[in-house]
Amino acid sequence: MATSDPGGEILGRGDASLLALRAEPEPEVEYAPSERPPERPPKGPWRWARDNLFSSVFNSILTVVTALVVVLVLRGLTGFIFAPERQWRSVGVNLRLYMTQAYPEEQYVRIWVVFGIMVALAGLSFAFWKAGGPMPVRRITGFVMGMAGIGALVVVVGPFVAVPTKLVWLAVAGAFFAVAAAVHARDWSKRTEVGSMRVWFSVLVLIIVAVWVVPFGHHAFVDGAVQPSESGTVAMSTKVPLTVMAVVLVAAYWVGIALRDRIPANAAKGVLALAWLLSVPFNLFVILRDPDWDYSRVLSVWLPLFALFAVGGGVLCWFAAKPAHADSGRLLGGLILVAGGLIYLLTYLGLLPGMLQAVRLSILLLGLFVLGGPTFGGAAGARRRYVAAWVVFIGLFYYFMAAINAPSTVRVNTELFLGGLSITILVAASTMIISFPIGVLLALGRTSRMPIFRVLCTTYIEIVRGVPLITILFFFSVMLDLFLPSGMSIAEIMAVTLGYSLFSAAYLAENVRGGLQAVRRGQYEASQALGMTAVQTTSFIVLPQALRAVIPALVGQMIAVFKETSLLAIVGVFDFLFIANKVVGTQSEFLGARRENLLFVSFVYWIFTFSMSRASLRLEKKLGVGER
Amino acid sequence: MTDETIPEVSGAVPERLADQDDIIICEGVKKWFGDFQALRGITATIKEQEVVVVLGPSGSGKSTWIRCLNRLEAHQEGTIVIDGVELTNDTRNIEKIRSEVGMVFQQFNLFPHLTVLDNVTLAQQWVRKRPREMANSVAMALLDRVGIPEQAGKHPGQLSGGQQQRVAIARALAMDPKIMLFDEPTSALDPEMIKEVLDVMKELARSGMTMMVITHEMGFAREVADRIMFMEAGEIVEQGTPEHFFTNPTEDRTKLFLSQIL
Repeated sequence: MATSDPGGEILGRGDASLLALRAEPEPEVEYAPSERPPERPPKGPWRWARDNLFSSVFNSILTVVTALVVVLVLRGLTGFIFAPERQWRSVGVNLRLYMTQAYPEEQYVRIWVVFGIMVALAGLSFAFWKAGGPMPVRRITGFVMGMAGIGALVVVVGPFVAVPTKLVWLAVAGAFFAVAAAVHARDWSKRTEVGSMRVWFSVLVLIIVAVWVVPFGHHAFVDGAVQPSESGTVAMSTKVPLTVMAVVLVAAYWVGIALRDRIPANAAKGVLALAWLLSVPFNLFVILRDPDWDYSRVLSVWLPLFALFAVGGGVLCWFAAKPAHADSGRLLGGLILVAGGLIYLLTYLGLLPGMLQAVRLSILLLGLFVLGGPTFGGAAGARRRYVAAWVVFIGLFYYFMAAINAPSTVRVNTELFLGGLSITILVAASTMIISFPIGVLLALGRTSRMPIFRVLCTTYIEIVRGVPLITILFFFSVMLDLFLPSGMSIAEIMAVTLGYSLFSAAYLAENVRGGLQAVRRGQYEASQALGMTAVQTTSFIVLPQALRAVIPALVGQMIAVFKETSLLAIVGVFDFLFIANKVVGTQSEFLGARRENLLFVSFVYWIFTFSMSRASLRLEKKLGVGER
Repeated sequence: MTDETIPEVSGAVPERLADQDDIIICEGVKKWFGDFQALRGITATIKEQEVVVVLGPSGSGKSTWIRCLNRLEAHQEGTIVIDGVELTNDTRNIEKIRSEVGMVFQQFNLFPHLTVLDNVTLAQQWVRKRPREMANSVAMALLDRVGIPEQAGKHPGQLSGGQQQRVAIARALAMDPKIMLFDEPTSALDPEMIKEVLDVMKELARSGMTMMVITHEMGFAREVADRIMFMEAGEIVEQGTPEHFFTNPTEDRTKLFLSQIL
């Protein structure tokens, strides 16, 4: 450290006379064009197998043993799946039960609307986030060849069909393989690439066509006994809506592509992200639940409340967002928060008459907004935007509050109007969305320098992590009401989701804490040296880097959240697994068909978790660009 | 250690700055890390527009002192007054001073998740509360000044060390600081990149910026500094003009240090 750099010294001295007024731009240097690496001739499959599978004695033994195990597993699995006594119809007949459970059939159009909204958002998001990319044709043909090979293997080792049928299916697999191999060979030197979105859309079109034309029953391939019991195609009642969904997806994608170059990308992405977030309560409380609006109550209660908070809160936010009022703004926000907390406490102690839950909540929300004013405010433009954000936020809040409090027109014979896969997805998505900010706050609290926060958060995390999830679910479903102020109640499914979120948040917090520790000290110092406050440093510098570092752990946690929703059955929620296990499994016409249904359910769970894990890999790759 | 141990110094303030105001005033600043005393009573005054180069062996307290000036380290005794505001535990004073004092680090400390442009605009928007367009144009002008406007859309990881350090200088300048602190800005750079950073710093010094620079680049010190301070063991041993310092040092410890590095 204490030695000088001789090179620098010489440069420094020699440069004394030519003090250019600005740093000189780097001179352009031309280099000889670099050569392409030599193209290696393709290794034949035998050569590849010898190099990779049979390179040593141990490796050869391992290969043989693994191959035997794979064949046995495949044979067992196919034997089970394709055995003539399997009642796969129990899955097909009960698909509605699996998806929505008790939702009334004549209202199914609502479910398709919800699905359509999500599909349209997905199409737009694909376009704006530039999903997909060039995909080498050789990869597609390679994949088709591989699948055809596996299919042929399954046909050969499978115990289920007579020789003539086997030959037919082998011919089909062979045909696929031959076509793919021909394309593969032709493309070898050209390295053609096609857009991967086109590939996926082509696959989608194939599926839709199959839904229309593949006759019902053939897919079971029971040897020599194809039952022509019911004429029709695979999807008899849903092929029209499914086709509409596919069209909506592709159309939304093309609209997105057309819009992408005309509007600013970041603003569009922000709007889309917000739309995704809002679509959850909107779909749930407005479309699926279909509130029976009582307009006199809307006019007498909800609109005046909204106007009061929008105007009053807007003025307070306008005041707090002015930089000169930073201190009084923070103080004001803190006071409102304390007042909001006191209202809950006093109501709980019975010292204050009950009031609308929405009012109590909006006081707390207003406190948070006023508190954030000095941080996010600034010049007149920024202040206007901040006030507008508050008005829109509180408007949405009251809209959903009114919708939730109105009676529903959808009549179901269970407590919940959803069940099956839809409730599984709903609870999982809500839990992920609610637990994420709580987990981040807990992690920040645990690493905080303020001892009160640190002790509180550490205690919370350690206690929650030490209690089984089922205990927490029971607690929230049965006992939460006892701890609420009198006159206040909360729907059981919401209580359970809240408990699940609080549980998941504790685990999430530990993951995020790992990320916080990975952010280097210099990042804090650089941010502080620029005069940024602790809140600004955390939200703009530290958290983005910390979360990026722990994406794999976070996605792992999300996958766990999705799968463990099946524990909700214990507190009486008809989740996806529960329907397979306890509802379909006990239907008199499908007695003994529980195993088929459990296999089906596992397959659906796997599709979801596998997609999540692939998506996280893509995210990591994308965010990794340009880092460090 | 008491203040009496600070030796008399010669030529402390150069003539050209005689009628400038004092912008940094340190009085008996002391700092401990556990039982180890890093600063043993630093008393110094720096004029506006003055360029001070701090030299000294590693572990002499140079970095600690400079980091105390914007409260990245808290001093435990003595007073530090920056531009008329005393540094205390009051958070508001600290944030005000930090936005007036730019700092450039040895390890650049750019924000790796933001583009070069966003690195320079972020604090303008949130601390100086400038609208986005204004922040952008300030940032582009500064990137032009440090010679890398074409890198604005890249991430720091895609830049060379010298380019990163120039971005770090632009980021600090974007806050319109009155003082710039440089903590060994070229020590982590490959030799061929040192010049491009030093050139930017020379230009900055000529533009009249008040600068405190810790460096081992003797050529830079000799050429640009108004005053050179030599620190050892947590105190200022000797200070003076570069000419005095390099040709006629009075203290034995200074002579020993110079004989080791020159």
